[in-house]
Amino acid sequence: MRAEARSFKSLADETRLKILWLLSGTEEVCVCDVIEVLKITQSKASRHLRYLYHLGWVTDRRDGLWMNYRLTVTSGSPREKLLKLLSEMLAPQPEAQALRGQLAHILEAKQDSQFARGLKPDRKKSPQSLPET
Amino acid sequence: MKKEAQLFKSLADETRLRILWLLMAREELCVCDIMGVLGITQSKASRHLRYLYHLGWVTDRREGVWMNYRLSVPPGSPEDKQLKLLADILSSRPEAQALKDRLEQWLAGKDQKDRAAACQCS
Repeated sequence: MRAEARSFKSLADETRLKILWLLSGTEEVCVCDVIEVLKITQSKASRHLRYLYHLGWVTDRRDGLWMNYRLTVTSGSPREKLLKLLSEMLAPQPEAQALRGQLAHILEAKQDSQFARGLKPDRKKSPQSLPET
Repeated sequence: MKKEAQLFKSLADETRLRILWLLMAREELCVCDIMGVLGITQSKASRHLRYLYHLGWVTDRREGVWMNYRLSVPPGSPEDKQLKLLADILSSRPEAQALKDRLEQWLAGKDQKDRAAACQCS
């Protein structure tokens, strides 16, 4: 029953709970997105994401400077049930909805700027074309 | 969201998980039952039970020298849902089933001792 206790421990921290909530609402998030939405430092965001990574909750993908994370929970597994319960508990809360709203906003803005860069391929590598934060 | 994190923290410890699992199997258990079944000291059992008590998972009832505990989560509450999920996850685990068997054995043994004591008195 140690494994179960450990799974529950993943959700026993407010920041990790918020990160899992964000991850379960979208396909993939960048550490930079987590930093911005939760207003935490990069070291704190990365520490919690690595914790989740080592426990097998998420997989990572490097994209330039930043690491990206996505949930890797198999359907029907105890962890999936745990995430469903978490969603059920958080969905009615305005605070939780606001976090997802902020994330959606950031992801949208990123997509827009990528689209804009796509229209100007000669500026693709210039530093000014980095998405604004 | 601090409250939710705290709720999950209740289940983030193996001993507390086992205690909740045992309490789900019976209406009420004595600290001595928890000690006997889990093979832990009284101070450890009481510490975890008091933790669960202060977070509202259980209520207590004194009986002589021992404290008795029972689950007290309102139906449909987040705690209730967590317990159901816990039961769902653990029911397929042989380790958890073995724990329930040990509880039954323990309680049966206690019953016998009580009856023997009653016979000696009369």
